[in-house]
Amino acid sequence: MAEIDAAGRSTREINSAIRRLIAESSKEITVRNPGARHNLAVAILDEVHILVAGSVGYYCGGLIDGASIEIEGSAGWGVAESMLSGTVRVHGNVGSGAAAAIRGGTVVIHGDAAARLGVSMKGGTVIVAGNCGYMAGFMAQKGTLIVCGDAGEAFADSMYATICYVGGKIANLGTDAVLAPLDSNEAEQLERTLNCYLPPSLRGAKPVAADFKKVVAGRKLWNFDKRDWRIWQEAL
Amino acid sequence: MSELQKSGIFAPKVIEEIQAKAESGLYSIRGFGTLRERRWPTFDDLTFLPCSLTRIPLEGYREKCSTKTVLGTRFAKKPIALDIPVMITGMSWGALSYNAKVALAKGAAAAGSSNTTGDGGMLQAERENSRTLIYEVLPSRYGINIHHMRVADAIELTIGQGAKPGTGGLLLGSKVSDRIAEQRDLPLGVDQRSPARHPDFLGPDDMIIKVEELREATDWQVPIFIKLGATRVYDDVKLAAKAGADVIVVDGMEGGTGASPAIFQEHTGLPTLAAVSEARCALEDVGLYGAVQLIIAGGIRDGADAAKAMALGADACYIGTAALIALNCNKPIYEDDYRAIGAAPHACHHCHTGRCPVGITTQDPDLMKRLDIEQGAERVRNLLQVMTSEIQMLARACGKSDVHHLEPEDMAALTLEASAICGIPLVGTRKVFRH
Repeated sequence: MAEIDAAGRSTREINSAIRRLIAESSKEITVRNPGARHNLAVAILDEVHILVAGSVGYYCGGLIDGASIEIEGSAGWGVAESMLSGTVRVHGNVGSGAAAAIRGGTVVIHGDAAARLGVSMKGGTVIVAGNCGYMAGFMAQKGTLIVCGDAGEAFADSMYATICYVGGKIANLGTDAVLAPLDSNEAEQLERTLNCYLPPSLRGAKPVAADFKKVVAGRKLWNFDKRDWRIWQEAL
Repeated sequence: MSELQKSGIFAPKVIEEIQAKAESGLYSIRGFGTLRERRWPTFDDLTFLPCSLTRIPLEGYREKCSTKTVLGTRFAKKPIALDIPVMITGMSWGALSYNAKVALAKGAAAAGSSNTTGDGGMLQAERENSRTLIYEVLPSRYGINIHHMRVADAIELTIGQGAKPGTGGLLLGSKVSDRIAEQRDLPLGVDQRSPARHPDFLGPDDMIIKVEELREATDWQVPIFIKLGATRVYDDVKLAAKAGADVIVVDGMEGGTGASPAIFQEHTGLPTLAAVSEARCALEDVGLYGAVQLIIAGGIRDGADAAKAMALGADACYIGTAALIALNCNKPIYEDDYRAIGAAPHACHHCHTGRCPVGITTQDPDLMKRLDIEQGAERVRNLLQVMTSEIQMLARACGKSDVHHLEPEDMAALTLEASAICGIPLVGTRKVFRH
């Protein structure tokens, strides 16, 4: 296990050190004392596991393809944004825009997520063990968004084809978001996903998958129709 | 018999528009850009003052006038070096056909210039046929792909667009074909609305962090451009410079679009002439004029427009609509097909329909075939080269051995407004009408 002590070092120096270790074939890298720096471990394109032993600022794990990033603390805005594949796991809470525009991979958040979780996501899976803030799933296009706790206001607003599951209460649904039936096959798949990604200590306290609410797009915003003018007035 | 008087306020066209809205319940969406008669100050309100006795012109065939253009010298390890100062702006694969995107790439490469991706990600053939490719990062993040960013020669973080600042893109369902839906991760045939805001930052302070992320993602090798729709240009340019941009692009209200509500195209933004003047002032006031390069876009038609923009402070110009016109946009061919969509040659702004008669703004395979890639590329190259020659001619006549040496003093203003905006004397006076 290779280690980098980030204390007193700039983002540039820390990321350069990570890339040097990857070039030297390290598969397990620990970054100590991250000090909530922004832009740590961005655009990592190799199958490595990077453990960040503390909290990070904005965009940690952004633009990655294939890497596994584990953050032992909390993360600022845009964690894992635009990732193509890989895994980003956050033991604490995350700021706004977590998993924004991801096209693949899995983002697992043990704590709570702030506003606009999974905004514009285009694929992949986002799992939040706790609660999420307002406008989660805003303009989300594809992929799966799972919130085990409560969801804030305007949930799943203006979506295309993302499928959302919420274990707790939904403050209110966003424009064109609708509840959909959850069939037994889907519930089993959801249960498997949760059991696969969440540690038993977190999974045990949450509702069983069959009790989750499923939310999808009502598709009234997919094509402009004057009969839906009032809904468009809200959306635009 | 005297003609019956028509209202100047509720003119026939206005009456038609109101009745169309009342009947359809729809606001007008269209492409191309503003159709307003130009009553605002433009580059046409400036004239060059070539050499006579006080300055010596250069000989056209004997004395060199450099057009080499280097962008991104502030922080990037590898600034981009172009042979000419006229570049192709970002236009998406989706708004444009595959053939149009590839023809633009090939034409720009042949002329020693650059082209830019657009709101739909990178097309592999675009990269393969580009000499210098600028990769746009837009609010929608459609097709965002780190591997594509890593093979780009510059990254352009787009905040807004001149034709429709403050709002997102639009691609109507007729253009969201199988390939476009797959590229953008969208359901087939939806009326796609792009977000107006980036999903992971909101204001100028967050943008500083975003710019750092893009630098880290590209190992600080390539320039980072920040593109702004021209609105509060003086403040926005200072904020973009503070955020660490190597290059700032300002896109004026005469800029084009593939589709947007007409009301944006007609009623938002600053004219390009005003935009370049404000941008230069902003960079001078923060001591970064020259250190941060400036690209001007928005309705640039020929070498005169480009030369005037450069004399006012731009390092280079983007063209979009002019390049599409080079590809045959609005050319009087296939006239029945223009009529079928309610348009006519020279009066077609129906890019949004996806039924472009000349194969440029369409995803229809049969229409697309009408644009031959090689012939289109040749015309784009020709236009870029002619525009560059025009800039050189004006520069040589003003005694400049480099087109980038053009300066405000090389021009006079034909109108009071242009004098006030540009800070150069009104013709026939020695005064600058500027407070």
